[in-house]
Amino acid sequence: MKNLIYIILFVSSALSLFSCETKINPELESAVPVLVVDAWLTNKPGNQTIILTKTQPYFDSSTPPPVTGATVTVTDNSNKVFAFVEDLAKPGYYVWTPVGNELIGVVGTSYKLSIQTAGETYSAESRMGPTTAVDSITFKKNEPTQQNPDFYRGQFFAKDVLGKGDTYWIRTYKNGALLNKPNDINVAYDAGFDSGGSFFSRMGKSRDGLRDSAILVDFIPPIRGRINPSDKDANDKVLSPYLPGDSVYVEIHSITTPAFNYLQEVSIQTNRPGGFSELFARPIANVSTNMVNSNPNGKKALGFFNVAAVSGKGQKFIQK
Amino acid sequence: MQRLLLLLLATLSLCQLSAQSASKFTISGYIKDATNGEALIGATVYISEIQSGGVTNEYGFFSITLPSATYTVNMSYVGYATINKSVLLDKNIRIDIELQPEASQLQEVVVQAELEQANVQNLEMSTNKLEIRTIQKIPAFLGEVDIIKSLQLLPGVSTVGEGASGFNVRGGSVGQNLILLDEAPVYNSSHLLGFFSVFNPDAVKDVKLYKGGIPSRYGGRLSSLLDVRMKEGNSKKTEITGGIGTIFSRIAVEAPIIKDKASFIVALRRSYIDILARPFVKLLQDGGALNFYDITLKANYNINPKNRVYLSGYFGRDNFKFDRGQGFSWGNATGTLRWNHIFNDRLFSNFTAVYSNYDYSLQFGRDEKDSFKWNSLISNYILKPQFTYFINSNNELNFGAEAIYYNFEPANAVGVSNGVPTDVSIPKKYNLETSLYISNSQKITPAFSIDYGLRYSLFNSFGPDSTYTYSNELPGNKRLPVRAQYRKSGEVIATYGNFEPRVSFKVQATPTSSIKGSYNRMVQYLHLISNTTASNPLDVWNPSSENIKPQLGDQYTLGWFKDIGPTRQYELSLEVYWRYNQNQVDYINNADLLINRYLEGDLIAGEGRSYGLETYFQKKTGRLTGWVSYTLGRSELKVDGINFNPNDPLRKGNWFPTRFNQTHNLKIAAFYEINKRWSFSADFIYTSGTPATFPTSRAVVQGIVVPYNANESRGNVNLPDYHRLDISFRLEGKKQKNGKDRKNSDYWVFGLYNVYARENPFSIYFSQSDKRVLAGQPITSQATQLAIIGTIVPSVSYNFKF
Repeated sequence: MKNLIYIILFVSSALSLFSCETKINPELESAVPVLVVDAWLTNKPGNQTIILTKTQPYFDSSTPPPVTGATVTVTDNSNKVFAFVEDLAKPGYYVWTPVGNELIGVVGTSYKLSIQTAGETYSAESRMGPTTAVDSITFKKNEPTQQNPDFYRGQFFAKDVLGKGDTYWIRTYKNGALLNKPNDINVAYDAGFDSGGSFFSRMGKSRDGLRDSAILVDFIPPIRGRINPSDKDANDKVLSPYLPGDSVYVEIHSITTPAFNYLQEVSIQTNRPGGFSELFARPIANVSTNMVNSNPNGKKALGFFNVAAVSGKGQKFIQK
Repeated sequence: MQRLLLLLLATLSLCQLSAQSASKFTISGYIKDATNGEALIGATVYISEIQSGGVTNEYGFFSITLPSATYTVNMSYVGYATINKSVLLDKNIRIDIELQPEASQLQEVVVQAELEQANVQNLEMSTNKLEIRTIQKIPAFLGEVDIIKSLQLLPGVSTVGEGASGFNVRGGSVGQNLILLDEAPVYNSSHLLGFFSVFNPDAVKDVKLYKGGIPSRYGGRLSSLLDVRMKEGNSKKTEITGGIGTIFSRIAVEAPIIKDKASFIVALRRSYIDILARPFVKLLQDGGALNFYDITLKANYNINPKNRVYLSGYFGRDNFKFDRGQGFSWGNATGTLRWNHIFNDRLFSNFTAVYSNYDYSLQFGRDEKDSFKWNSLISNYILKPQFTYFINSNNELNFGAEAIYYNFEPANAVGVSNGVPTDVSIPKKYNLETSLYISNSQKITPAFSIDYGLRYSLFNSFGPDSTYTYSNELPGNKRLPVRAQYRKSGEVIATYGNFEPRVSFKVQATPTSSIKGSYNRMVQYLHLISNTTASNPLDVWNPSSENIKPQLGDQYTLGWFKDIGPTRQYELSLEVYWRYNQNQVDYINNADLLINRYLEGDLIAGEGRSYGLETYFQKKTGRLTGWVSYTLGRSELKVDGINFNPNDPLRKGNWFPTRFNQTHNLKIAAFYEINKRWSFSADFIYTSGTPATFPTSRAVVQGIVVPYNANESRGNVNLPDYHRLDISFRLEGKKQKNGKDRKNSDYWVFGLYNVYARENPFSIYFSQSDKRVLAGQPITSQATQLAIIGTIVPSVSYNFKF
């Protein structure tokens, strides 16, 4: 329902003449720091990294304090152990280096993350689901507006895997740099936004109504279009997401349903365009985690562990 | 409960006996406005000899039964000249009387919390009646007279801020108010996301808000009843009223169809900001729209002295369109047919049939290949026979029934992605709510009266529908469907029945002061579920079901009412209230409320309570009139799985303040008549900041700053206080032209909203800086305070009547 926010932003522009926003610095309750696990592994070739940090006061804008000296391992369901070794040059970074063509990640395999730190043992599980291929990426010029005579948006096409309950995280690189702002978070539940929407590839009657065939559903347009960075220049002018000559690379990561929920929650909690969209915003609520302390009375941990299969496709924007 | 019922019946039969034993006769009739034939609601009929009397009901009817004798009958209504009539009561007498409005505008009474003489008779407490004349004087946002915004100046009524739909009464949620427009429920009272309300003031006659002591003839919501009655239409002469304002224009035409027998009113409003902006905004030229309108109509026919019929309707719509094919729209439609029938001088009846519908729709997609269409509606059909039996001057019996058939369509939605359509609709839900009620208003001694009644309500949900059994999870976690069951058409899925006792009493302590108290139980079968900061048009109405129990609310109130001054020109009241609610529906963190077939798995229920003190002081007459209202209150919820101690494995909830909790709520309204042509109005509002949830910490995952509240608390801080001053000047048009009286009358209103341009916070939100940061580099986090109205808003409007 993200489109709703844009609609509301538009409709309220007339009234927004009266509204105003101020940066403030309210006093916050203090809290004991807790462990944050950032463990999003993929079957991409090369090193895999898990980052361990601690929470910090909300307005502390420094890099988060690293957690060092932890033991970090990932075990698959045939008991193969992947050891993550602390990178001494980068505190808090734990790296697994493949031997030869070794990969973490076979679709259908379950993985277990185990972390020992400060006398506590945390674990999390993730099963690698199937991903789907990026079929194509296209660019289109928007109708000219006064602000931007040249405004180009990209769109990718991909079809949901047959069956219900496949979840994906779409990650976009523009000219090699990952788009990583809260409003870049792009997740799909089957071909749609959420489980309630039930946009999914299924078996059904073919168009001529004569035989059963797979009806493969493309990701719905708001997901297809969410590969466009929204940035402003120094004069607060909205920049065109893409210009001729730019290149884009779109990856589709398969994620677990809990990981989908997690990312969707993160998106709701962090993507705050402000203004009148606040009328439709939700109050702050903690996002979920799949980290479990083996001691139920022990300290909590935050963050997420997911092992993804990844597909990807690149496209350079050449004006015809 | 059964004993109460028996007691009630016993008392009633006693009353009956005493009524029949003496030779008694009845004075009955209608009281109307002499200038336009409108029935006067709550006009007083006072019999000097017995120092008692009655008040007219919602249709202007009264009936008093007395022993045979000669009486002086005094008929009065605030702002109208009183009529005294000597009556020899040796048979049943029908008096239909028309009262003449008083000439002097300066004598206007502003708000009637109670009528001066009705003090003696009136049992009601916790009610506020707002005169439309008063509403028209209150300085309004963009100069648009607004009923709901005006109500927010009364004690116990609040809002979470500009841009929030609806209103909150005594710490209740927006969805706990029953809003009736000519007996038809209105499910969303707002235009333009809450900036304006749906009622056209030109078509409204009477607005009454019940905050407690709700009569047993009403039910269905826990916290309040807003009873809006439409004008019947001038039955004497054609009248056109209207206005041209900053945001919209209004026009209303009322006229007799048959003089003194039948009349009608048609009132229209439309916003025109989009028309004015069209030359400048390309979007609007391309089929975009931003407007709202409403049509209110009513006709009535006085068939004969015993029968009268009324037909009224409302249709309103908001349209926000992105372009021709994409947009968002919502609106209410209601229709009411009523038949007043007087069986005899003492038995008054009204039969009501209502249709009401609220729907919204969204549409996205520029072409057929990629589109999304979604609409949702709640519609209902209501039948309501109501009877009032005026037993004698000490007893008035009300009884009747109500049946409401609900049809919910949570989502009719089809999405097309790259040419492949998918139907994502959610099955419809069918429900029936039936109720029976009886109540008696009894004067036990001249100083002590009591109103006692009972309502029984029964709620059924029917198939066809699929029902789900959900998994057991820790409170606050999403529960997943584990078993589905299909229910056939007409099969009863869930049934709930509840007795709702209602009692109120009044003790006349001295001639100018009284003490009143009330207890009522209310039951609510529909739940308005909102997980956004403010209530909005997409909020979901959900009926009670196998998995969702009805909400129950018990409210106790006690108040002291005092008239002060030689002409009782001042009024003071103090009221305390306490309410306890069960099965209040709330949502889990990160609940998914829209187009979710398994919505019930995201809902949890808990307890609610609210309590407070309302004080109210009013000056009713003179050149300066107005009131001061102060409410001290608290409103809280306790739900397992929300606001729990992080170390509690069972996640037992602790009390937390609701989003609309306001500790202090002060309002001052003043109206000053400068001279015959100029008048000045001002209002000032001061309220404590409403609760908000702030994070304590931040966690960085995948380069995104995620807020974290280590204490798992909800509403852990209060926003800064809200205060605002509005003023307006009204200039009456010249009464004479070229030495002759003008037929038309007109006036200008010049207003300033938020005079000292305070940036009242609507919300404070937390986000990371919008700048792109390289992986591993520090990210700044910030808090932003948003004021929906952060400037002074001037307005001007021109209003006319001819």
